[in-house]
Amino acid sequence: MWWSSGSRSPAEPAPPPGQRSEALKGLLDSLVPESRHAVLDLGPPLAGNIKFLAALSCRVRIADLHRSLCAESVESRQPEAMGALFERLLPLAPDERFDALLAWDVFDYMRPDQVSSLMARLTPACRPEALVLVLASTRRQVPAAPPRYRIVDRETLACEGPLQPVRTCPRYTQLDLARMMPGFSVRRSFLLRNGIQEYLLARDTGGGASRAREVAAAAGATPGRAWFRRGRR
Amino acid sequence: MWNKREDEPIRAAAAPQTSLPPTAVTARREQQAAIGPSISIVGDLTGDEDLTILGRVKGKIDLPQHSVTVGESGHVDADIHAKVVSVAGEVHGNLVAGEQILIRRTATMLGNLTAPRVGLEDGCRFRGSVDMEAQPERGRPAPIPASRATGAIVPVKPAEAAGQPAGGAGGGTPAKPEAPLVRP
Repeated sequence: MWWSSGSRSPAEPAPPPGQRSEALKGLLDSLVPESRHAVLDLGPPLAGNIKFLAALSCRVRIADLHRSLCAESVESRQPEAMGALFERLLPLAPDERFDALLAWDVFDYMRPDQVSSLMARLTPACRPEALVLVLASTRRQVPAAPPRYRIVDRETLACEGPLQPVRTCPRYTQLDLARMMPGFSVRRSFLLRNGIQEYLLARDTGGGASRAREVAAAAGATPGRAWFRRGRR
Repeated sequence: MWNKREDEPIRAAAAPQTSLPPTAVTARREQQAAIGPSISIVGDLTGDEDLTILGRVKGKIDLPQHSVTVGESGHVDADIHAKVVSVAGEVHGNLVAGEQILIRRTATMLGNLTAPRVGLEDGCRFRGSVDMEAQPERGRPAPIPASRATGAIVPVKPAEAAGQPAGGAGGGTPAKPEAPLVRP
């Protein structure tokens, strides 16, 4: 799914597989190695990612949300039942608080009401200023099953999995995310060449807005806006 | 001369693989216990030997100095505390290992993992947390010498074994208090 173009000489070292991800870098930069952090990964279990995060002194919780949702009956996935469903699929200890949330592209495979219910469940479990990494495709179609995102290094993500068959992509915008994720605001946003928009959101606090502006200014980005304009639909 | 012939190691020549004395071989065999596919145990398991589970266990498994292997046909609804834990079957419960936890690709694991080394094969089903820093408690009292199961042992019908509902999600262990997030 990530592409590399152009020819290179045999002597030239091979570039690391994957795509540069500023949002991932921003999220990982917030995890100070001296502290213990809790990270919730909504994607499938990947040994490499767990090892990488464990090296940063993180305790990782794996949700494997898409597979868990697909295993549920149609009735339990109705809008009115989503709250109870996520309570069952995401059993959290009362005092469990996350510093970071890796949503990857899971939202592309969920309805807006499902995302809202999910975030209603997770928001109380996120610390103030907890960061969320969301990958939202701007293309009309996405692979039928979510690919796996492997952390190559602090700023590189590799995407693995079959590209076919495909399904319709909801193409969530920043406004959609704001509606579905109240209590979170976009700190940084990057449109990648492969049509995936990266969002790094933070849970709001009292001084969240000014902090967001500060961080975005330091990164050279306009807070709450994509670096690139999105193409016409 | 006749006595000398009788003293020749004829048995050793007939069984060259037994470089260890027979008693050692027997002891090594005794260090492996297995719960067969048709066995179901409800209760706590403790012991002083490695354990392979191919049947069903519900309760608690405590073998802190030994390894526990849950085979592909194994169904465990219990917390497991061992030196090494390998899961290829289905486990609902928290795993604490002194050395390593390995979740095979055929495994369905719902629960929290705590070990210095955790291996997850791609394709496994896992929901829960992974903690590779916290060391499991040490200095526990010496385990009971022989493998012992406290509880009922009942045969399981194949139909029952196949139709185990996936109830009870992982994550029962409360999270440890953590330091607040410090940002640069």
